Amino acid sequence: MSTTTEGIALRADHLGMKYGGRRGGWALRECAFALPAGRICALVGPNGAGKSTLLALAAGLLRPTEGTLDGPARDDLAYVAQSKPLHPRLTVADTLRMGRELNPGRWDETAALRVIEGGGFSSDTLVHHLSGGQRTRVALALALGKRAGLLLLDEPMADLDPLARHQLMGLLMSDAAERGTTVVMSSHILTELEGSCDHLMLLARGAVRLDGAVDDLLAAHTLLRGPVGDLAPHTVVDTRTTGRQLTALVRREGPVEGPWETSEPSLEELLLAHLRHPEGAAA
Amino acid sequence: MSTLALKGPAWVTVRQYRRTLWLALALALLALAVVAGLRIWTAQDPVAPAEDGVWIASPYNDGYLKLRWILEYVGFAAIALPGVVAAVVAGPMVAREYESGTYQLSLTQSVSPTEWLRSKLTVATAFAALAALAVMGIYWLGRLGVRQGWDYHWGHPGTYAASGITVFAHVLAAVAVGALVGQLVRRTLLAMSLAGLVTGAVLAAFSAYRWSLLSTERVTGPLHSGPRITPDDLHMGSGMLTPAGTDFDPSICWNEVQQAPGVDTQEGLWDKLTNQCYVRNGVTTEYVEFHPSSHLWPTQLIETGIVLALAALAALAAFRVLRARHP
Amino acid sequence: MVEYRIDRRSGVATYLQIVQQTKQALRMGLLEPGDRLPTAREVVEATAINPNTVLKAYRELEREGLVEARRGLGTFVRATLGTTAPADSPLRGELDAWARRARAEGMDREDVAALFTAVLTQHFEGDDEA
Repeated sequence: MSTTTEGIALRADHLGMKYGGRRGGWALRECAFALPAGRICALVGPNGAGKSTLLALAAGLLRPTEGTLDGPARDDLAYVAQSKPLHPRLTVADTLRMGRELNPGRWDETAALRVIEGGGFSSDTLVHHLSGGQRTRVALALALGKRAGLLLLDEPMADLDPLARHQLMGLLMSDAAERGTTVVMSSHILTELEGSCDHLMLLARGAVRLDGAVDDLLAAHTLLRGPVGDLAPHTVVDTRTTGRQLTALVRREGPVEGPWETSEPSLEELLLAHLRHPEGAAA
Repeated sequence: MSTLALKGPAWVTVRQYRRTLWLALALALLALAVVAGLRIWTAQDPVAPAEDGVWIASPYNDGYLKLRWILEYVGFAAIALPGVVAAVVAGPMVAREYESGTYQLSLTQSVSPTEWLRSKLTVATAFAALAALAVMGIYWLGRLGVRQGWDYHWGHPGTYAASGITVFAHVLAAVAVGALVGQLVRRTLLAMSLAGLVTGAVLAAFSAYRWSLLSTERVTGPLHSGPRITPDDLHMGSGMLTPAGTDFDPSICWNEVQQAPGVDTQEGLWDKLTNQCYVRNGVTTEYVEFHPSSHLWPTQLIETGIVLALAALAALAAFRVLRARHP
Repeated sequence: MVEYRIDRRSGVATYLQIVQQTKQALRMGLLEPGDRLPTAREVVEATAINPNTVLKAYRELEREGLVEARRGLGTFVRATLGTTAPADSPLRGELDAWARRARAEGMDREDVAALFTAVLTQHFEGDDEA
């Protein structure tokens, strides 16, 4: 991968990925974004939106069909695939040793062991015998032990109980705080990421629907409640009418003037509104 | 089998397949123990020359026969080794990484995909070469014990494989074919079968045609008194010559004689009529085609060269596929 | 040292929760000038919130003059919110006298509290929202 612009951890340009030859469908199409370094980015979207494809492309496991995706080189990124693949016949200790052998000069055993701690298994357990949550721990330990500048995590918390989820998210955040790591985490459960992420990328049907700092995105949208009326010039993301009452989420174009009660949406309201209309806002 | 000295991806590969490696070592030691034991048994009752000058084993010497029996298997192991190597490389070592998704782990560490595959193939090659050496050593040890009696001919398929250098070329090709097939198929069992088949086909092609690589030598002699080759030569075929020097088709005479009345009942009539037929057709010369033992090493070298070229092509293709898939 | 409790369902922005909880600790005397606030790393490890949120809260506290960041050392408390005035301060003395009078005029505890809250609202309207 080529060099990245200063301050940008991951940049996509006309990025497209098609599977299965000529007859296959596009998993991603015409994606463009620039993720600033140091952000904790939530990659959200419905199943099949292209989240895993985007992460695998960023990890250098796939070659884009068209366009480019520029990020750090292989040795400066860490990737945890959705299925948390590990060699089943190695022990946990062997797996960590593998991390050291395959990342010479970078490996941080202490960082890896901090993730393993509290997992409730000894290091001579075969990976084969670990539970789903324990596998996640070992996979995350490998990723954090690598001390990479960019962490790509595909559904990292899916197999974890709430306690482990909190502990591991805390570890991830402290790693990011300590070293300024950029993190991209995919999930289809937003509450899992709310509070931890300061950047949001919403994918739907292979396209980037929403991308930006969470604060900016929230500030750019307004939740309106009041009588039915013309919402122009604002871009309507989602509307619902109950009798004469209108509830709408709009992307503001200038100040909102009218008989409506306005408020800033929560992240969840914003996402749900966009997910209800994956084709794009009615504008 | 110390893993202490190994570093990087090679350590990972050896660690992953350490059970297979221990198993192979145990098998080799077992074969060695069996052959060595049989040699000791055989030596209790040595092979002695019989009255007609042929060296034979004593009829009470069970060990001798068992040793020969075991050696057939060791020779077969030398022939089958490349197929096994191809299957192991294609299936468990390469295709399984794709099937189980662990390639996503392996290819996102600091080593490049090329390094990753290269280290796998290096470990596999080193292991296969050691296995080939072990088989050859065991075969040699056993053969020393039987050669006093009735030695294996150098053209015997097992002996040819277990006493030459072609096996090294074949295992190298097997590793390369395994790497290619494993990446293309990406299903463990299917890749194992396919790689085994491809390697088997190459071996079958060579067993069928390796003796056509060099032209045979021919000795001629008068009809019936026959040209002679030594037991050390590899007999490839024989026939009769017309006065013009071309091959005479003996079925001409068989068909003719078959129709003569009384050949089934009168003793000696068949031979007499056949000879008359030969004389009538002017056939006076017989020939034998054979490879002298001096052809063994040139044949081994040519086969090794061709197989090494195939190995290089397969390896090149394997790395091409890898680079095309993963940036 | 304070320990922050983040309630994601409260509707209050996460960084404000940290600001408010720090101020509360200052008022209660749990934090005193010279005390070190937990590092961003310590906070996020315990709460799993975004590190930038912690930094934003600390910047806010710094802007209000309550804490100061010392490079490489951490963030330290500079001032107290010493409005829980010491027993001998004049303000406290006046309030003490006022409460005595209110009681003498027959007001009960709830009446006094309601009156006090109403006056507070009138004078400090909007102050708490940053």
